[in-house]
Amino acid sequence: MSLAQHQLKLVVNQSPEVLERVLRVVRHRGFKIDQLNWQYEDGELILSVSSQRALHLLTNQLAKLVDVKDITELNMMKTSKSA
Amino acid sequence: MRGADLLVSYLKQEGITTVFGYPGGAIMPVYDALYDGGLKHVLCRHEQGAAFSALGYARASGKVGVCIATSGPGATNLITGLADAYMDSVPIVAITGQVTSAVIGTDAFQEMDVLGLSLACTKHSFMVTDKDELANVLQQAFTIAKSGRPGPVLVDIPKDIQLADVETALAISGKDPIAQHDDERLEAAKQLLANAKQPILYVGGGVGMANAVDELQRFVDSTGIPSVTTLKGIGAIPNSKPYALGMLGMHGTKAANLCVHECDLLVVIGARFDDRVTGRLESFASNARVLHIDIDPAEINKLRQSDVSLCGDLKDILPALTTTLSIHEWQQYCRDLKVQYNWNYDAPYRSIYAPKLLNQLSEKLPSNAVVSCDVGQHQMWVAQHMNFTRPENHLSSSGLGTMGFGLPAAIGARHARGRQDPVVVVSGDGSFMMNVQELGTIKREQLNVKIVLIDNQRLGMVRQWQQLFFEERYSETILTDNPDFVTLASAFNIQARTITMQADVAPALDEMINSNGAFLLHVRINEADNVWPLVPPGASNADMMEKV
Ligand SMILES: Cc1ncc(C[n+]2csc(CCOP(=O)(O)OP(=O)(O)O)c2C)c(N)n1
Ligand SMILES: [Mg+2]
Repeated sequence: MSLAQHQLKLVVNQSPEVLERVLRVVRHRGFKIDQLNWQYEDGELILSVSSQRALHLLTNQLAKLVDVKDITELNMMKTSKSA
Repeated sequence: MRGADLLVSYLKQEGITTVFGYPGGAIMPVYDALYDGGLKHVLCRHEQGAAFSALGYARASGKVGVCIATSGPGATNLITGLADAYMDSVPIVAITGQVTSAVIGTDAFQEMDVLGLSLACTKHSFMVTDKDELANVLQQAFTIAKSGRPGPVLVDIPKDIQLADVETALAISGKDPIAQHDDERLEAAKQLLANAKQPILYVGGGVGMANAVDELQRFVDSTGIPSVTTLKGIGAIPNSKPYALGMLGMHGTKAANLCVHECDLLVVIGARFDDRVTGRLESFASNARVLHIDIDPAEINKLRQSDVSLCGDLKDILPALTTTLSIHEWQQYCRDLKVQYNWNYDAPYRSIYAPKLLNQLSEKLPSNAVVSCDVGQHQMWVAQHMNFTRPENHLSSSGLGTMGFGLPAAIGARHARGRQDPVVVVSGDGSFMMNVQELGTIKREQLNVKIVLIDNQRLGMVRQWQQLFFEERYSETILTDNPDFVTLASAFNIQARTITMQADVAPALDEMINSNGAFLLHVRINEADNVWPLVPPGASNADMMEKV
């Protein structure tokens, strides 16, 4: 099974629970976090995620979070790992 | 002004007249403000009852439902109701008390991380940390609950903030969903419609939520496209329309499932390809192109790729798509299937056949009646055999399928609707016991709610699956030790009567409908009566099982 890896930049509200909200959606929608960079003061979160599922299934759900203001896909690398 | 008083005056400003709740330590300032605050508070007998009443209120009125609970156990008891509202996109605002700010995070008495609990079952949630933000938070909570795809919002308010002198001024904010239905896409959608020879409308709960029933009916009348509905879509298109084929899916009508299977264009309106609707997804309308219309961009291409999608308010989109088509042959084909597979109520025996009873009840009730049901076989029989002309008249826990929904949701509907609208619960012997304490609310408020309790002495829906798919091993689904329901009702001053024979049905229904105040009609039926037809799990909707 091919796991696609994606890097996302999220601009979020500065609230203490925003990280939990994002992480919960990522897990629940079937994605694994490979790397994460979090700058509370800038309201900026950079996530590397991977999944067998299509990326829009995650980004559409993240976009619905009230605290998420913007999402950009930074790059996309396809790897062939077995699940 | 105290935070608690601000809350009450804000609710009134939002147009809220009735709230449902249960008091406790961490919410006492709010209850103090409610004491003479000019809002009607309904004391439910469990916070789950309060949440479902708020939900029933919202669904029956189209307004936001409000429920209130204390910290810790009060708040955790709300969770199932929030989850139900989340799955069915119902706008409710839950207010919970929280322990005093200074002791949050110390495992204080009745402290629970409610914000943490809310993440998976609300559209959004707040814990108020700055007393002067309370007014803003409340305004945002209502805006979020109502806007776009509606849903539940929780506001957790520490006790010190309820007591503090707070700022009352409001700053305006809010994130509106982006509409994605530009002219180009509308043209593409019109092209799909114009080219279709065998189109079907797959109508979901979004139509009622968008208050777009009239727009939909005009669209249907003008295009003549045959339609099917989901459980939540029931009422958006009355069954009396010639090409309305009824509910689709696991317990849908044969005509609905076969026509969807054969269509060449599926027009999805405020629906989301739930697995109970589609059966095996790969074989669902597999030769059809898809035009998907919904307010929530995340539903587009989630389970089924669409050929054209329109994202936005159905109230705007449906009129823009309204056109005329010539699809006479297909209409006739669908209509023939509808007639061929119409329900047959001629059960050969003298005992009571619940589908027939529910159909009789439906004929006797006026079209403005609200029917709230529980979860199980009786719920599917309501969906199949009762006729609705508005979605807000059929309350059914659809996405979550929560037993115990029926009675408290009816209590909410009773408060939402005028006296001229009858409110009827159709419950099962299993589900009824899950929120049976709400009979206390009926007694306290002297509510005119009629209850039809379909008693098969079984957890019937589970029993049906055990019979069909688990070699008749009836594990924990036999309820021959049910309480005496007539005596139970009488403990709450509710008139009640038991019937067991088909000949008793008509007079008993009349007695119930004409009675003053609450009435419980206890209906004994045969435990072997199953819900048909049925699409077995994992099968295509075209392969429906018939009565065995
Ligand atoms: C809260 C909850 N627990 C368990 C279930 C699983 N369940 C679905 S239907 C059903 C049986 C319902 O029995 P009853 O209310 O008597 O209805 P019947 O099917 O007999 O008409 C059960 C246990 C559920 N839907 N909700
Ligand atoms: Mg039962």
